[in-house]
Amino acid sequence: MSTTSPVRPAPPIVVQLLEAPFQPLERLAAWQRSLAAEGPDATGSAAESHFIGRVRPTTATGEPLEALELEHYPGMTEAQLRALAEACAARHGAGAVLVAHRVGRVRPGEAIVLVAVQADRRGPALRCVQELLEDLKHHAPFWKREWSGGRGTWVAGNTPL
Amino acid sequence: MRVRLFASLRERAGWGERLLQLDLRPDAQPTTAAALWRQLALAAGPEDDGGELPATVRVAINQAFAAPDSPLAPGDEVAFLPPITGG
Repeated sequence: MSTTSPVRPAPPIVVQLLEAPFQPLERLAAWQRSLAAEGPDATGSAAESHFIGRVRPTTATGEPLEALELEHYPGMTEAQLRALAEACAARHGAGAVLVAHRVGRVRPGEAIVLVAVQADRRGPALRCVQELLEDLKHHAPFWKREWSGGRGTWVAGNTPL
Repeated sequence: MRVRLFASLRERAGWGERLLQLDLRPDAQPTTAAALWRQLALAAGPEDDGGELPATVRVAINQAFAAPDSPLAPGDEVAFLPPITGG
């Protein structure tokens, strides 16, 4: 007789690198529709948490920001985002994860990152969003350059939590 | 073997990608990312960590994070990554 324990299906992980401005709420709606189309049992979706990050209008030194330039490592960045999302979902038992991140030139006020997590309860949903955001800020290969007064400056580190 | 640099490291070095031949003689020392950093003189200057790979620069081999002293194999893609600033 087999004694294997029931295996939870791997949660759906969606990773998107976007070269053009995006509307986070439209992305969220499309993601929710795609999950709903998989059926009510596809995810534990009683709780859902979201984070939207936008480009602030000033540089680290307080100058007016013209744009933020986002460089990445094509291939590794996507793979690393997926690995981080899978690990975070597994730690918290989350049912579904969406990560959308801009690359290229991003202007002040535009969305740069969107993280969304569905889970069975608010705790895992909220914790997974926060952890995944911190993970990707430190472990997904992205580099920011601030453009101000026609000059570009590589950002040395992340802003404080 | 392919060596790649990103962001500030690429601009400082003046190149983003270079193809190198590994020394495959039986008596050759296995090459590592840390050794390549010295060999290619990627430090900002001799006063910069004595020319050694600084702890703030991370290494990826074949697009996965790796220890700087991992031995490299022919065909590997090794990348030097300055401090990450995503999100």
